Amino acid sequence: MFDLLSEPLANGTTVRALAEITVLGVVSGAIGCWIVLYKLSYSAESLAHGMLPGLVIAALVGAPLLLGGAVGILIAAVLVVIATRTSTETADTAIAVVITALFGAGILLALSPSSPPGIQDLLFGDLLGVTLTDVAIAGAVSLTVLAALWTLHERLLAVGFDKGSERSIGVSVTSLNLILMGLVAVTILVAVQGLGTLLVAAILVGPAAAARQVTRQIGPMIAISVAVAVAAGIAGIYASYHLRTAAGASVVVALLAFYLLAALAGSLQHRQIPVRR
Amino acid sequence: MLETFTLPYVQEGLIEILLLSVPAGLIGTWIVLRGLAFYSHAIGTASFPGLVLADGLGFPAALGAFGMAGVFTAVSALLARSRRAAADSVTALALVACLAAGVILASDVFGSGANVDTLLFGSLLAIGSMDLILAGSAAVLAIIATRLFSAHWLAKGFDEDSATGLKSNSAWFDFALLAVVALTVTATLSAVGALLVAALMVIPAATVRMFTRRITTLQAGTVLLVAAQGTIGLWLSVETNAPPGATIAVVSGVVFALALVLRSSKRSRKLGLAAAAIGASLVVAGCGGGGDSDSGTDKVRAVATTTQVADIVRAVGGEDVEVTQILQPNTDPHDYEPRPSDVAAFADAEIVFKSGGHLDEWSEQLVDDSGSSAIVVDLSTNLPVQLGGGAHDHEGEKAHSEEAGHEGEKAHSEEAGHEGEKAHSEEAGDAHEGEETDPHWWHDPVNVSAAAGEVETALIKTDPAGEASFTANTNTFRTEVEALNRAIAKCFDSIPDGQRKLVTDHDALGYFANRYDIEVVGAVIPALTTEAQPSAGDLAELERTIKAENVKAVFPESSYSQKLADAVARDTGATTEYSLYGDTLGPEDSTAATWIGMMQENANSMALGFTGGEQDCNFN
Repeated sequence: MFDLLSEPLANGTTVRALAEITVLGVVSGAIGCWIVLYKLSYSAESLAHGMLPGLVIAALVGAPLLLGGAVGILIAAVLVVIATRTSTETADTAIAVVITALFGAGILLALSPSSPPGIQDLLFGDLLGVTLTDVAIAGAVSLTVLAALWTLHERLLAVGFDKGSERSIGVSVTSLNLILMGLVAVTILVAVQGLGTLLVAAILVGPAAAARQVTRQIGPMIAISVAVAVAAGIAGIYASYHLRTAAGASVVVALLAFYLLAALAGSLQHRQIPVRR
Repeated sequence: MLETFTLPYVQEGLIEILLLSVPAGLIGTWIVLRGLAFYSHAIGTASFPGLVLADGLGFPAALGAFGMAGVFTAVSALLARSRRAAADSVTALALVACLAAGVILASDVFGSGANVDTLLFGSLLAIGSMDLILAGSAAVLAIIATRLFSAHWLAKGFDEDSATGLKSNSAWFDFALLAVVALTVTATLSAVGALLVAALMVIPAATVRMFTRRITTLQAGTVLLVAAQGTIGLWLSVETNAPPGATIAVVSGVVFALALVLRSSKRSRKLGLAAAAIGASLVVAGCGGGGDSDSGTDKVRAVATTTQVADIVRAVGGEDVEVTQILQPNTDPHDYEPRPSDVAAFADAEIVFKSGGHLDEWSEQLVDDSGSSAIVVDLSTNLPVQLGGGAHDHEGEKAHSEEAGHEGEKAHSEEAGHEGEKAHSEEAGDAHEGEETDPHWWHDPVNVSAAAGEVETALIKTDPAGEASFTANTNTFRTEVEALNRAIAKCFDSIPDGQRKLVTDHDALGYFANRYDIEVVGAVIPALTTEAQPSAGDLAELERTIKAENVKAVFPESSYSQKLADAVARDTGATTEYSLYGDTLGPEDSTAATWIGMMQENANSMALGFTGGEQDCNFN
């Protein structure tokens, strides 16, 4: 038993992957709760593709790709908020419009002969490919995002649960949405380099959706979400080590298992306690 | 200006987009009204495991996509029964579940040998009769479903709070809507590619909705807008030589932004205008790179799909053949969407040379759908040496390369050919039923020599007048190939056995290893799909093997990200300094721009890596 737990720790790649998933699990679990409450799952899944024009332009003018990706994803986030606020559409539709148009533009730009090949995958990494520098950067960004969420907690709560009262608490809903989307964008930018697109979407939405099944209060929800993210991350990597399954996909499977358990627990809980409303 | 539309493949694209405008308009309206944009996007993306299964078990890719759409709809409907789950998180979870299943199938079950994504290859410029039938069926289905269910969907559309609960019999109408969306999206997907889905199904309906609330006006307006944007986008793409999918996406994005400007207040009008300006300038910038390759000569018009095939055809054809090469250096076939000039080259070609296997499967469809009458020559069918593909286990690989490494094999090409023949039949005996062959045959000079012969025969058939020149060119080329073969063999002979141990990113160099008696210790990524991922356990074992066997270098491939190779190298003290060319030749200005140059580069890199940087092959 002890061997099963300790053996993977002798391998550098596995240890770095465990560190990266733990750091990113904490921040994703926390911001994931706001993603679920604000119904931003589509953004979490697709925003990374919106950085393509930024990446291509950075490559063409010789700027660092990471900078191009950062500018690209932030512009995508701002455009999504603008499209949501100024049209009558749901965020859902706005994201489809913005991401599809940006991705198309990125492909057209990438036709330029001087743009390097395979550029859209250059920033997407794999859990087993992270360096210690990656983990350190992820840690620093996570702390920043967590601090911002902490500061904005009350305002996010007020707007998220009661859109009518925006004026009474003196918060501009648009600027709050902009800040939240910006935080989501930064988290995605850092996370895709360590985890790849598939795992990023899963870890941003899965743990929070699981937590939501068992509690409605935001405090416990964040705590459970973070715990689920970290636990599923570690369980997934151990499974990948012992069962020889693809690392990122194993973490996703572990996350889904936690979600199904929570959904089961949630429906049992629901049956025992009579509906109060 | 309108003569673009006289080209047969453009006409078919136009018919396709006009047919698709019906379901896109009718169903797209519901997608927007009911907030199903994410769902429709997810249906397209979630087809991935269906494609892997179709590839692994050998049934049509479109069937895999339709099957997955069904599974996805059922899973979403099931998950949506929970009252506490928001629809968008459910869609996200169902989507990642499908993708994870696809990754595990591709990496751990089938070890897919190529980019399965390209199996569902779709472009408006390569429309076949099957695509037209699918689009037509989608149109009919959309009309019937709209007639039957419109009233129910409409009643629900304005009562959002109950939209996620599956109760009473309205649940069945919800399910019908999800199913119709899934079917139309999949029909669109197999015809025009994943990116176009939202450009046809979501953006136009969202644009029209800014101007009307009436459902019938909305639907009629959207059908017209999709038709108009599709026609303009198709025309623009042919005029500027850009891929039609991306062009239509940008056109509809710009139209949406302009509509937003028209509808919005003064303050946000500026923002909208800025967005539209950015969009428009992107279109202009993107379309700037148009070029034309037409030149009216009496040379043989040949198309070659990959870089290395094009190089062989150029070598054999010489002055008398005009070669259009479709894939560019360092491209991942994964990214490939045909540009109008590519389709025109196929339509115009007298003869098409393909590499064969998974690498250029799309070329068949382009030949058929461009209305080309070209002869297609698959160079992979008559090769002297053919190795099994897919996931190798290391033991088998080792045994095999030892067995193929008989002395004297390298001395004479005639003999090498015979040896190869033997290896081939043995290999075929071992191969499992339905196992594919490794498509990277050109890493063995004996194969390239044989391929040059195939090219020669085919060219003589097309242009008998050029026979003397083709034969002379082939002989010159073969002499060079044989000289190269001897030089590389000599180079590796001078490196001690224990040092010739190869660890690559992907399993692309099996033929090279087989020819020069190099032991393949392992590969970082288990399959060639870009979506495949390694497991922590396999990587840890690879690292232990590298240390135990004292492997000095891990060789990344030039066209892929080398993060994983770097991670392995860091832990084991190996170097990743020397990269190899696996799938393509190098860029035009590099030494690896020709096949011979590429082989020399690979041999040099390996020699340097094996000996810790002490010795290269010293070609000159």
